[in-house]
This record gives sequence, C-alpha cells and structure tokens, in this order.
Amino acid sequence: MSVDEILMRSRFNPLKNVLCYDVFDKGFNGWMTLMPNFTEYPDFDVPKTLVNKDQWPPVMLSSATYRYPGTHGSMSGTYSLKVSTRPIANPYVEKPAEGSMGHAIKRLSFFRPESRFLQLECWFSYTAEQDKVDGVDRPQPGLHENSIRDFGMGFDTQKNGNRFFTGMRYLNAVDGKLIQKWQYVHSTEGVTDKEWAYGLEGDWCKKGVDHWWFGRRYPNGDHDGYKDVPDGHQKLIYNETDCKLNWQYMRLKVDTLNRHYVEIQCQDRIWDMRGVEIDAVDPYNRIDNLINPVFWVSTDANRRVFLYIDSIVVSQE
Amino acid sequence: MKMFNDSHLEVKKYFTGRFDTNPYEAGWADEAIFFIMVEKIKGEPVFTGQVQLSQDGVNWTDDGSSPVSFSGMGMHLIKVQPNFGNYLRLAVNIEGGEMFLNLHIACKG
Repeated sequence: MSVDEILMRSRFNPLKNVLCYDVFDKGFNGWMTLMPNFTEYPDFDVPKTLVNKDQWPPVMLSSATYRYPGTHGSMSGTYSLKVSTRPIANPYVEKPAEGSMGHAIKRLSFFRPESRFLQLECWFSYTAEQDKVDGVDRPQPGLHENSIRDFGMGFDTQKNGNRFFTGMRYLNAVDGKLIQKWQYVHSTEGVTDKEWAYGLEGDWCKKGVDHWWFGRRYPNGDHDGYKDVPDGHQKLIYNETDCKLNWQYMRLKVDTLNRHYVEIQCQDRIWDMRGVEIDAVDPYNRIDNLINPVFWVSTDANRRVFLYIDSIVVSQE
Repeated sequence: MKMFNDSHLEVKKYFTGRFDTNPYEAGWADEAIFFIMVEKIKGEPVFTGQVQLSQDGVNWTDDGSSPVSFSGMGMHLIKVQPNFGNYLRLAVNIEGGEMFLNLHIACKG
C-alpha cells in the first residue's frame, strides 16, 4: 500500500469505489471556476442573466501566505485549492453582488449501473483577508471572522430523468452577525420559479436549480434554497486571527438512487440525515449521468474571503 | 512533466481608466504570462499594464519592469519577469476610450 493510499484511508472514509482522490499540493486536478455559457451571437457572447457569474475569481493553488506569519502551507504540503471572492457584498436578502462568491467545480459522471451512494469528503480551512483594521469601536477590530457569510460543498447531479442538487453549507454570518450553523440544500415547497429568481424576469430559472445565487433570502438567515440541519449549530475552529488556519474535515453522503440524504459530518460530529428527501427538477438535455461536485464561499462584507481545500475524495458504492 | 494552468482574470467586460486585476497566487509556477484579448473597442483606447508583486496579497509594488503599452483589437501579452514570488497582479490604465477585454494569466512550472 502506497503512502498516498495510507493517508487517504486514514484521513478519509471513502465508499467502495473512489472516483477521485485530489491532493492540491500536486496540482489543480481538474477543479476550476464555474463560468457562464459562451454560446451566443456574434462572438461567443453570454446569455442574458440576472446574476453575472464572470466576476467570481478563478480557483488558485494557494500557499496561504500572510503579512506577518508568512506562509501557512497546507495539510498535505505547501498548496491548497483556494476558492475566493472579490471584496464586495450585498446585504444578505439581496441577490449576490458580482464577485461576492467563489465557486469550484469538477465535472464527472456515473460509471456503475448498481451505484446507489455518492459521497464527497474534504479537509478545509477558511479565513477572511487581513486587508484593514475595522476601527476602535469593538474588540479585536483586526479579526474578520464575521466577514465570511457562508461556505459549503455538494453535488449537481442528473440521474434517471431527474436533475437534483444536494449539499451542506455552513452559514457563518448574516449581515455581520455570527450564525454558525449547518444547512442542507433543499428548496422551499410552494415557491414559484419567478420567486426563486427574486421576483425578477430576465433569466432561465427553475426553482431548486442553482441555489448558490438563486432563492430568496431572509434577514434571519433563512433561504428558499436551504433548510436547517436539526441541531446543526457548530462552532468551527477560527483560531484567534485571520492568518491562522486549522484544517478541518467535512463529509456529505447522499443516496442518488432513492434521492435521499444519508449523512452530513463536520469535524467529529455526524448528523443522521436518512429519510430527508432531495428535491428534483426536470432533466436537462445531454447531461444524464452527470456528477458535478462543487465548493463555494461567499463574503458578507466588502472584503475578500477564502475557502482553502487541502484534499478531496469523491466516492460511490 | 510540468504543470500548466490558465485562469481568467476578467471576461467580456468593457474597461476604461485605472483598475487592478484581482490578486493571483502563482508561487508554484516558474513562468507567468498575462494574455490580454481585446475583443471590442470604443474610441481609440491605449492599454498600459504594469506587473506588480505582493508578499501578502494586500500590499503591492511594481516588479521593476517597464510598463507595457499597446492599442488595437486582438491578442496582446505581457510576460512577467522571472523571480516573481507568489502574488501577482496587473495594474492597468486605459486611456482614450474603452476596451472589451478577455484577460487571462497563464502559468507553468
């Protein structure tokens, strides 16, 4: 057994068939930023949209280098995959500002007819940019934990004539107030396609599709694209200053055959999600059997925020 | 085998005046090239780009090279001098009009 395999089996809990074991100290491994579709006349133009997605920064291989401590490195070496934002945010209840999110995607597909379970695991950390000290009117004005709105991971999947989105997100802060709880991807019953698009016209839009930037948001942190994980409050490690990273573990397991969640895990806490349904929409053309694992992060302030991913395992059985 | 990666910095958007590209980490790479595709223009714009480096991704300084200027549609490039460290960006000034840009950074190492 190679050292890589020992590390994978020690740090992760993969299902029987491992599709990817991506260690970002060794490269991008096919993870990239989600971009618009360049399909329109006259020069590969972008279809009209309500949410401009080309301002999301590209994913990078980051050494996590900061002003005072220098290079933090990663859990597996020097580099991790950095998903980041630009320094701009809208209030929580509004549609996301251009550049206020970062998004990473890898494009895979089903390959075994008997496959039922699909799982995504990673080691991650997160922080806000040490751009400026906010002022003297509060303790630790140079600590920006509450600038991070949310981060998460999940799947965009199409199987057996259904397109469905699954995922877990850590809702860290809403308009500067720390919330710190887990939610899972599930669109609210009774919401119309137009309501899903903030009541606006001008985009192809279906309820349940693209929860990252669609779905109404409410001042208390509720969201038409997410539901609270029961007993889902958890204080993750945010270690005293924006330039300290602690590597933490999260895992999402779903049943793609019966379209149910199975388990959500972060650090050493496991939430039993069996029986929680996954909502589905009509299939898209030409993407049956698609599996797209995704990661995302959003800023809650006019400040860049970063989600660092050391390594990922996608597995099935 | 070497690693290669190309990333977008700006895509299909009009620019004029001063702006800086979003910070990009390229510590793994030995070489970096900014590819600047001018897809459309308004007026007679001239693009001037200065490579800048940063230790922390927040505080920036010129890399010691001369600024590069060009005009006209089509593909242009700015090669980053060797020994660039980690954080890279391009400080841009567009005068005399607007440029519709597809601006990428290509790294290898």
